[in-house]
Amino acid sequence: MSDTVNDTMPATGLLERRGAMRQMEGQITGCAISRDSQQVAFATGEGDIMVADRADWGQSDAWNAMTVHDGAILALAPDAAPTGFLTGGDDNALRRVAADGGVSDLAKGRRWIEHITTWSNGKGGVIAFASGKQVELRDADGHTTLKVLEHPSTVSGIVFDAKGKRIAASHYNGASMWFVQARVDTVRPLEWKGSHIGIAIHPAGEALVTSMQESELHGWRLSDGHNMRMSGYPSKVQSMAFTRNGKWLVTSGADTIVMWPFFGGGPMGKPPAEAGGLPGVMCTRVACHPVHDIVAAGFADGSVLMADTSAQRILPVCVGGSGAVTALEFSPDGCCLAFGSEDGRACVVDLSAK
Amino acid sequence: MSDTVQASPDAAAQNTLVPVTVLTGFLGAGKTTLLNHILTAQHGRKYAVVVNEFGELGVDNDLVVDADEEVFEMNNGCICCTVRGDLIRILGNLMKRRAKFDGIIVETTGLADPAPVAQTFFVDEDVRGKTRLDAVVTVVDAYNVIQTLDESPEAVNQIAFADVIILNKTDLVDEVALATIESRIRAINAVARLHRAQRGDVPLSDVLDQGGFDLQRALEHAPHFLEDTSHSHEADVTSLSYEVEEPLDAAKFQAWIGAVLQEQGADILRAKGILNYAGEDQRFAFQAVHMMADGGFIGPWKAGEPRVSRLVFIGRNLNRPQLRRGFESCRAK
Repeated sequence: MSDTVNDTMPATGLLERRGAMRQMEGQITGCAISRDSQQVAFATGEGDIMVADRADWGQSDAWNAMTVHDGAILALAPDAAPTGFLTGGDDNALRRVAADGGVSDLAKGRRWIEHITTWSNGKGGVIAFASGKQVELRDADGHTTLKVLEHPSTVSGIVFDAKGKRIAASHYNGASMWFVQARVDTVRPLEWKGSHIGIAIHPAGEALVTSMQESELHGWRLSDGHNMRMSGYPSKVQSMAFTRNGKWLVTSGADTIVMWPFFGGGPMGKPPAEAGGLPGVMCTRVACHPVHDIVAAGFADGSVLMADTSAQRILPVCVGGSGAVTALEFSPDGCCLAFGSEDGRACVVDLSAK
Repeated sequence: MSDTVQASPDAAAQNTLVPVTVLTGFLGAGKTTLLNHILTAQHGRKYAVVVNEFGELGVDNDLVVDADEEVFEMNNGCICCTVRGDLIRILGNLMKRRAKFDGIIVETTGLADPAPVAQTFFVDEDVRGKTRLDAVVTVVDAYNVIQTLDESPEAVNQIAFADVIILNKTDLVDEVALATIESRIRAINAVARLHRAQRGDVPLSDVLDQGGFDLQRALEHAPHFLEDTSHSHEADVTSLSYEVEEPLDAAKFQAWIGAVLQEQGADILRAKGILNYAGEDQRFAFQAVHMMADGGFIGPWKAGEPRVSRLVFIGRNLNRPQLRRGFESCRAK
């Protein structure tokens, strides 16, 4: 692994030069950036949200913290609107945090709200959230229920395709795919025995991939349902993301950033590429840059790095000394990298040209 | 899994893990009463509770989670490896607010097989990294237990899996009947701690913070079953216990136990042992549920304590002499 961080690198990373950090109480359970890329939000296990406005990305004492849930925040997503965020908690509530910090209730159920995802094309949008075995779809205002989709077991992940036409949910023994606008809901079942614990979809809709309890990935080619199996991980894959062009599926679960090729016939019969890593330290979170061929990865010791998928160059963002990275996101315009850790560090790095 | 005995985190790390108590027992045995007793008692500790019959709990607790007991089969080569995937998810999410509670109690439905719950603590790396299975506590209704055991293999399994058995409603039967019940329970599980109770009124020190399993202490309470060699092959669930006085060869033991669990794991509900490895000053604690096993060093032998390796199997169709010969063949030369 000649491409790993080594002693020729500066001991500090981008965070020190172009970022800011704030210590929060409790674990960071998620981070998200609004669709207009103007606000970063962090969620914690204590029920708090902290929002950083773009003008304050370098000054963490100006970030605005508030309590939104009574209990842990389990899900955080950008709202379907250009601004604001949606949160779901173990108080069974779905709430909206507006750009001005106003909090409003959208739903209150009988189960934890564990997953939220939104889709928007700039004109219209859809909100989806999972609670127990149900996935509920709402229109962009968040108050009108479009449909409630039932699944055979608790939903472990949800994802819209890039066009917002379909939504897929992972659960025991496979995944279910539904058409968002269908008048009559007919599921497309994608079956594979076992417990599926996370989901991702190819940006061009070519494949659906789930993470499995047995530390491997399963995939279905959506054109014909052909099964794909991607294995060899030393631990569960908690985080995965397709690169913007769909060439690579980037994942956590090893001590390097693992990238499966989705071109030239792959991933079937192709070994994954490795985009650098930290020897003996597990990668826990990955994110793909929306504009450039760059991936970011967070590790179990708190380190974060960025790697160039083509040139295999590594750029340290921050180096160790902290709890595992539990949240990691790029902003939609690619100007910001936000991440948080198990021990409550919330960090924002400004990547824009200065 | 079965062929490699995984090392648990060392003793110091064990103390930072959140203890999880699994509460089993047949419908009407008094699980909910005991749970309410635990949650209302003035012990100054806070528990998160995972229940499956929502609304039955009589006390306010903002850390009550409703679970569906979603069991799935692992694709790991172990034919009987079923796991509670919902528990993996729930424990993972509870750990996000770790500071809010001291321990977790998982209540199972009356008819549940305890194996998937117990195996969850062997299988999942995140669960293992943050929590430890403190004890399986089985509540038994003294008035109905004999009939229940005759009719229901699930009830037998719940007794077999227990680290602690609460014999509840003892006011409804006389002393003679209690003695019969206790010997019936002992025939299935000779090493669990057995406590009598009425309306779930046990001291909490008998239920919580059991610290896993202390085989030596358990054997003190049930010395008779060690000498019982009247049966060599039991179709019913029974306990077999073995002792070897000479130090064991760690590699030989792991190879042997791995093969035993691989071949007979379906019939072995639980296996536990305290082992004296040659060249080691510390006791090695071993435990298994069906084909899943793990173990780790748990601190030095006490002064004056005999350095004897003890191993217990609880299961069906166990061949006593064959297991004895196997265990004895693990002696270090």
